[in-house]
Amino acid sequence: MQDVSPEFYLKMYRDMRLIRVFEQALEREFKKGNVPGMLHIGVGQEATLAAIANVLRTEDGLFPDHRCHGLLFLKGTPGKKIMAELFGRATGVCSGKGGSLHSADASVNNFGDNGVEGSFMVTALGVALGWKMHDTDRFAAVMVGDGTSGRGEWHESLNLAAAWKLPLLYCCVNNGYAISTPVGFSHATAELYEFARSYRMPAVQVDGNDLMACYEATLKAAEYIKEGNGPAFIEYKTWRWQGLFSGEFRPEEEVHYWKVEHEPLSMARAHILKKGIATEAELLELEQGVEQEIESWVSYAKESPMPDPAKATANVYVGWEVKAK
Amino acid sequence: MTRMTMVQALNNALDIKMAEDERVYCLGEDIGWMGGDFGVTRGLFEKYGAERMRDTPLSEAAIIGAAVGSAVVGMRPVPEIMFADFITTCYDQLVNNAAKMHYMFDGQFKSPIVVRTACGAGFGGGPHHSQSVEGWFMNVSGLVIVAPSNPYDAKGLLIASIEDDNPILFLEHKALYRTKGEVPEEKYTVPIGKAKVLKEGVDVTLVASMKTVLDSMEAAAELEKEGISVEVIDLRTLRPWDHETVLDSVKKTGRAVVVNESPKMGGLAADVSAVISEEAFSELKAPVERVCALDTPIPFSLVLEKLIMPNKDDVVLAAKKTLK
Repeated sequence: MQDVSPEFYLKMYRDMRLIRVFEQALEREFKKGNVPGMLHIGVGQEATLAAIANVLRTEDGLFPDHRCHGLLFLKGTPGKKIMAELFGRATGVCSGKGGSLHSADASVNNFGDNGVEGSFMVTALGVALGWKMHDTDRFAAVMVGDGTSGRGEWHESLNLAAAWKLPLLYCCVNNGYAISTPVGFSHATAELYEFARSYRMPAVQVDGNDLMACYEATLKAAEYIKEGNGPAFIEYKTWRWQGLFSGEFRPEEEVHYWKVEHEPLSMARAHILKKGIATEAELLELEQGVEQEIESWVSYAKESPMPDPAKATANVYVGWEVKAK
Repeated sequence: MTRMTMVQALNNALDIKMAEDERVYCLGEDIGWMGGDFGVTRGLFEKYGAERMRDTPLSEAAIIGAAVGSAVVGMRPVPEIMFADFITTCYDQLVNNAAKMHYMFDGQFKSPIVVRTACGAGFGGGPHHSQSVEGWFMNVSGLVIVAPSNPYDAKGLLIASIEDDNPILFLEHKALYRTKGEVPEEKYTVPIGKAKVLKEGVDVTLVASMKTVLDSMEAAAELEKEGISVEVIDLRTLRPWDHETVLDSVKKTGRAVVVNESPKMGGLAADVSAVISEEAFSELKAPVERVCALDTPIPFSLVLEKLIMPNKDDVVLAAKKTLK
């Protein structure tokens, strides 16, 4: 097992907690009608996301997917600016023009999610190519869900990244379902790392709810990529809590396993207590601090002004403006 | 000045930009040592190497995606899509990523790519190697479409496009590749967004682009023999097209014929015609005429192809109709 300091482990646990509370606050505000559009949340996938966040450096790239709001702020953008973006406010990281699926922050090399799942898998090729041509050791993490493995861009991207030895880390968050369709039902294999192996890149499958397993695999892959060896692929086996609009659709035993027996936060929490990294009282204090921090982001978003009307027609083209109504 | 074909002029433009700017590179299918399906990149592989003249697999989405991503981190890519018809396979990359990136992230990223592609009918290419695709992109906010009709403009517009910060679809009509014209050897640019009045006249305005410019010039010569004075405009940039030049001309002549090689419904000609009607209605002496392809796919047989494509005679007839 990777040797990490108690402080670092505790920091990663706090990151997991931030993700959980952020998503739950967001869901609450969405149900109240304060968050426009659609809602995809990453509750249940915190170990995977926190591990990835703690391997990426600021100079490394991030292509976030639909269920990783947590990575948006863990990458370095102030959390209140992410929350404000999801509320569609002027103070959002994209001035309220992108929302949940298009929150990019150039200053921390977050290139933004894409509404069409997997579409940016080929955009990532170019970022990696540009960096490779500039002879840097930067790499980009490409967040993809299991459902994305059906898209042509998935295969075009893996193929070309391998052929050109591009510095890309494919982080496949396999949460079992593409909306309602089980992954094994609609793909040649439910073991998605097998796809990547056929493209001749190192590909492993890890328990996506085991924080240290995720961290170790991610760190190892990142080192491999930074040495100039080309792309790598990790399949994080996890499970999303969010059901369908109509409610829960999965068997009771399955729900129980992932939400209770193999729940990422309680697993990490138990590890902390068992190893004496922190006491129960210290953890409660940490958790309370997280709640307060997230609520301060929600307040910031709520109190932020709506976007300036001029933004509706701004930045369509470089060099000339679109006439307003 | 040297006499060059459009292929040579485009090649010369790429050569000039690659020599002066290390960020410029090309990628696409068979553009490397083979020099491109139409020879536009010939000799550049030997000069600039495999890193900057990248042969790709048949992965159009990856070609455009890689171009966009590298542009975001400071490169100036010139991807080639061998035939414009194949652009359907990377439509998402152009429409949802290249064209929207600057807007949806509120100016944080730019996507300065120049997508060169060969379009147009006239050689029996059949349904999937002949289409004019500008209509497919007319509704895509954020995208610029450039379409030269001669070697001089081709070179100047390609250099200007590579230096522009917007995503640009650069249409090269296959029937024009071997046409020749005088082209300066040194670097120059032709402004994007500016149409050109090729021939002045007072009775009727012909608005054309790419190959239909040649048809329109021939039609104008024929009409002049009958005493009709014709003004011919080459749009050169199709999106956003130059309203001012077209409207100034139509306000003078009072009559307009819009010529375009793609089907009439919902295309470039529809937009030009609509803007003329909106902005110059009181100056119009006759309804605006459109000369376009018929609403069919493009058949393989040259005999059938001719029956559906617009030609010089159609332009002459339409111009006369506005004068009745």
